[in-house]
Amino acid sequence: MAKTAIIYSFNSNKTAKAGEKISKFYGEDKLEVVNAEDITEEQFLSYDQLILGVPTWFDGELPNYWDEFVPALEDIGMKGKKVAIYGLADQLGYPENFADGIGIMANLLKSRGAEIIGYTANDKYTFEASAALDGDRFVGLVLDQENQARLSNKRIENWVNDLKKHFK
Amino acid sequence: MTTVPDVYSIKTTPKETLVDWFRLLTIGRAIDDKAPNYLKQAIGWSYHAPSAGHDAIQLAIGQIFEKEVDHLFPYYRDLMTVLSAGLTAEEIILNGISKATDIASGGRHMSNHFAKIEWNIHNVSSLTGNHTLHAVGAARGIKYYGKKAVSISSQGESSVSEGYVYEAINGASNEKLPVIFVLQDNGYGISVPKADQTANRKVANNFTGFKNLRIIHCNGKDVFESMNAMTEAKKHVIEAGEPVIVQANCIRMRSHSNSDRHELYRSEAERNYVLEYDPIAKFERMLKRYKRLTEEEIDQLKEEAKNTIKQAHKAALKAPDPDPESYKDFVLPEPYLPVKYTDGTHTDEGEKKKLITALNETLKAEFRHNPDTFIWGQDMANKDKGGIFNVSKGLQQEFGEERVFNAPIAEDYIVGTANGMSRFDDKIRIVVEGAEFADYFWPAMEQYVECSHDYWRTNGKFTPNVTIRLASGGYIGGGMYHSQTIEGSLTSIPGVRIVYPSFADDAAGLLRTSIRSKGVTMFMEPKALYNDPKAATVIPDDFEVPFGKARTRREGKDLFIITYGNTTHMCLEAADMLSKDGVECEVLDLRSLIPLDKEAILEGVKKIGKVLIVHEDKVHSGFGAELSAMIMEEAFEDLDGPVHRVGSTFTPVGFNRIFEKRILPNAEKICDSAKEILVY
Repeated sequence: MAKTAIIYSFNSNKTAKAGEKISKFYGEDKLEVVNAEDITEEQFLSYDQLILGVPTWFDGELPNYWDEFVPALEDIGMKGKKVAIYGLADQLGYPENFADGIGIMANLLKSRGAEIIGYTANDKYTFEASAALDGDRFVGLVLDQENQARLSNKRIENWVNDLKKHFK
Repeated sequence: MTTVPDVYSIKTTPKETLVDWFRLLTIGRAIDDKAPNYLKQAIGWSYHAPSAGHDAIQLAIGQIFEKEVDHLFPYYRDLMTVLSAGLTAEEIILNGISKATDIASGGRHMSNHFAKIEWNIHNVSSLTGNHTLHAVGAARGIKYYGKKAVSISSQGESSVSEGYVYEAINGASNEKLPVIFVLQDNGYGISVPKADQTANRKVANNFTGFKNLRIIHCNGKDVFESMNAMTEAKKHVIEAGEPVIVQANCIRMRSHSNSDRHELYRSEAERNYVLEYDPIAKFERMLKRYKRLTEEEIDQLKEEAKNTIKQAHKAALKAPDPDPESYKDFVLPEPYLPVKYTDGTHTDEGEKKKLITALNETLKAEFRHNPDTFIWGQDMANKDKGGIFNVSKGLQQEFGEERVFNAPIAEDYIVGTANGMSRFDDKIRIVVEGAEFADYFWPAMEQYVECSHDYWRTNGKFTPNVTIRLASGGYIGGGMYHSQTIEGSLTSIPGVRIVYPSFADDAAGLLRTSIRSKGVTMFMEPKALYNDPKAATVIPDDFEVPFGKARTRREGKDLFIITYGNTTHMCLEAADMLSKDGVECEVLDLRSLIPLDKEAILEGVKKIGKVLIVHEDKVHSGFGAELSAMIMEEAFEDLDGPVHRVGSTFTPVGFNRIFEKRILPNAEKICDSAKEILVY
C-alpha cells in the first residue's frame, strides 16, 4: 500500500485545524501527520502520496517553513509521487495574490516530476489574480476561513473524496 | 517569487560570503535593537526607525552598491543598508547620538539619517521619498558622463504616494536613466495601511504602463531573493540602460519609530505573525539546515558582533559634541568673487542692450566658458523657441540637446533633479527655469527648501550648485499665476542667495556670478523689463556683480529710497517728479536681497534720515518689513521720521488692468508716500 502523509505546520492555527479535518475525513489510520516545520528531504521522499498544507503569507509568498525547504525541493526527484495541496487564503484582504502559495508549491513539485492531484473548481470565490489557477481550476483546495468559513467543511469533504479516487 | 536568475542560493554561495552577510546582519540588528536604549538613557537617538524586518533587502542594497562609483540615497530606515554598504558600527552610532564627528551631518540632521558623501552615500532629508528626484538627477550625471554605474533610491512603499515620486519615476523612464528604485514594502506608512495609500497592494504595479521601466518583485525578507533581485536590477540598468523598480516585500517587526506605538493599531496576532518571519532568524536557520555554518561558527559570529558594538559604543560616547557656536557655519558656501568689477559697477559706454539680451548672451558666454554647465526647464528649447520669453533662444542649437533641454511640466522635478545632478560632481553648474512664471514655482517649494539646507545639513560637505531663474512680477496684465512676485516668501528661508536685478548690466553680472558660484541662487527676473528700453544698458562683455552689493542709482539728500526689481524704475521716475518740487531723492537698488548690503542701507539712512522702502511684492510681510525692522533696530537714532513702505496690496494681483493698476505700486503711489515722510 502506498505510504501517505499529510504535512502542515504544527505551529499554525487555521492550516493545522484544516489539516486535522482532512485527516479525519481521509481516515486518520491511513496517513501519517508530519510537522512541516522540521521536515527533512529523506522524510519527504519516504512518502508516495502527500497532502501538503500551504497557506499564502503576505503578498503571495510561501510561509517561511516551506520557503526554507524550497532549496531542498529544488534538487529532489518527485517522479511517481502524487501530491495534493490545500491552503488558507484571504480573497478580500489579498485579492491580487489569492492562494498563491498553493500555486508556487504545485509548480515547484511539478517541475520535479510530481503529479499534482486534487484540482478544484474556481467556484464562489471572488478575487483578482491567483498563482494557484491552472486554466479555470485551482491546483489544490483553497480555503478562506476569513470570508467563507461556512463553506470550508463541505469543500474539505468534497476534496478528500476526490483524493481518495486518486490515491491508492 | 522573482523571475530573476538565481545567482545566489543557500547551497552555492561561497561560505566566506555567507559569513560576511551573517556578520553584517547580526551587527546591524544588534545596533537596531540597541538604538532605543540611547533614548531611554537620554544620550540621544531620539529618532529611530527600526530596520528590523527589512534586513535582507537592505543587506542586498548595500552589497550591490559600489562606493565612489554608484550613488546611494538611503532613507531613514536604512541602517542595515549603510552598514552593508561599508559604514562602520561606530559611524552609525555617531550619527544616532548626533556627535560632532558624525560623518553624515555632525549632529545637524536627525538621527537615523545616515550618509557618507565621500562614497556617494548621500545625505537625504526627512521628507519621505523626496530623494527619489535626487537619485534621478544623479543618474542624469551618470548617463551624461558615460559612467558604468547606478543610482539607487531606497524608500518605503508609502513614499510612492507622494507626487514627486511619480515625477521621478516618469522622468527616469522618459530619459532612460540608470536608476534603481527600491520600494521597501512593510505594509504601513507609520500607521496608515497600504489599502489607504493606493489600490494596488503592490504599488510598483501602478507603474506597469510606463515605458523603459522594468519591475522586479522580491521577498525582501529573504537574503537570497533580495540579493538576486538587486543583482539583476543593477545588471539590467547597466546593460539595458533603463530604470528598474524593485519592490521588496518586507515586514515591520517594530513600531514605525520610537514615537509610534504599533500596538495601538496592529493586533497581537499580526505583530506575532511578522515576528515569525524575522529575516535574520530565517537566514540563520537556513545556514544550519543546509549545513553551511555550524552552530559554533554562528555563535562565534554573534560573539564577535557583540564585541564590535561594545567597542563602537565606547568610542562613540567619547566623541565630542557639536560646538553650539558652529550653528552659523555652512549656511551659504563661499561665492565666486569678481576680480575686475569688485563693486559691480562699470563706466563703459557704447551700445545699450536689453535685459533679455543680457541674460541670453551671458548664458551663452558661461556655457562656452564652462563645458559642465547645463540648463533645463519648461519651454526651454524647441526649434526657434528658447524659454517662455525666449531668454534661452539659440542655446540648444549651440550647445546641444544634452546640455540644453526641455523638462516635463513638473516644477519639483526641474529643481529636484538639478539638486541630484549636482551631487554627481562638484564641478557641474546648473541653471534651471524654475517655472514658467514665478508664481508657478510653488510645486517646487519642497525641493527649494531641500536645496536651502543641504549645505548646512551636511556640515558643509554638499551644496547644490544651481541657479534658479524665475520670470517674476507683474505689469503685463497677467493676473494670478502670471503676475505675482514671490521673494517675500522666499527670503524667510535661509541657505539660498536671492538676487533681483532691474537693469541689463546687473542682470548679466549677477547671472555670471550666480553660475560661477557654489550654492543655490534664486535669480529673479523682472519680466516686464525684459524688452523695456529703460532697463537697457551698456554691458561690458565680462561684467560681474558680486552678491550683497547694492548700487546707488540716483544721488540725493532729502529722501532715501530703497528698492529693487521693477520698482527701481518707478522710484527713479518718482524721484524725477519730486525733483521738480525741489526734493532730491537718493535711490538705492539693492540688487541682492540675500546677502543684503546692510552697509549701504545704514549709510544711506545715516546720511539722509528719511527712508522709503519700495517693492513690488506685498507690503504685508514683504521683504520691506525685514528692512524696516533692521533699520529701526540698528539705525533708529539716524531716523528723522517713520520708515514707510510702498508695495502691492494684501490681495492677489487681478487680471483686468484696472485691478493691476490699483494693486501694484507705481510712481504716483511712491510720490504720495514720499510726501507723507517728507513732512516730518
